[in-house]
Amino acid sequence: MNTELPVDPVALREEVKSKYRDVARNPNGEHHFHTGRPLARRLGYDPALVDSMPDAAVESFAGVANPFSLRALEPGEKVVDAGSGGGFDCFVAAHQVGPQGKVVGVDMLPEMLEKSRTSAKLMGLKQVEFREGLLEQIPVQDGWADVVISNGVINLCADKKQTFSELWRVLRPGGKLQFGDIANGKPVPADALRDIDLWTG
Amino acid sequence: MLAEIGFVDIQIGQPYDTFGEARGEKMARLFAVYGYTFLASKPGSL
Repeated sequence: MNTELPVDPVALREEVKSKYRDVARNPNGEHHFHTGRPLARRLGYDPALVDSMPDAAVESFAGVANPFSLRALEPGEKVVDAGSGGGFDCFVAAHQVGPQGKVVGVDMLPEMLEKSRTSAKLMGLKQVEFREGLLEQIPVQDGWADVVISNGVINLCADKKQTFSELWRVLRPGGKLQFGDIANGKPVPADALRDIDLWTG
Repeated sequence: MLAEIGFVDIQIGQPYDTFGEARGEKMARLFAVYGYTFLASKPGSL
């Protein structure tokens, strides 16, 4: 275990895998967070765009904010989605960047990758690609991305400095980082920070 | 941490009541947890 981090990154990763494997297989199950179309509505996504997507493309969405709310993507941009899950934000990004753009979704869960690849094929989104990988080691070359998006994933990474350094590495100079994540307005006690169950639930 | 890494022009959007009416609402309220959108730039240009 890295003694500088509040929890063991490997143990946390396994816990996150277990939790989100369930979201992939059982999206309408009893989770501690909202999922799918009700969540997209709550976070202000374009209802017409969400309605146009098949259920499989939306149902495992488990973001915490809307990465497109402060800046819409521009046609032709190259985008990395760090922690793409079921692919929902990649499909929104694909709509915004258009067929001349490119969207690479990165996720560590084979169940989510299979689901997102199937949905992309179903929707005919040839500008979207999904790769298996970790946020701490993103499988994208240096400076490739015009934009990095992410939604509700960085808070699940134990080593945030390494994670943000990777997001920085894949961005080109002048590139944009636009992401959704949670923040607490009241301090979390030190013993709670060391409780992996609280990180994921 | 964004600024520490080197990002500039950092913006934070309005809070989302992400966990409202969800099973995790009680814990979220305990620590005032909300969802936020963040926007930042890597300095430089192509």
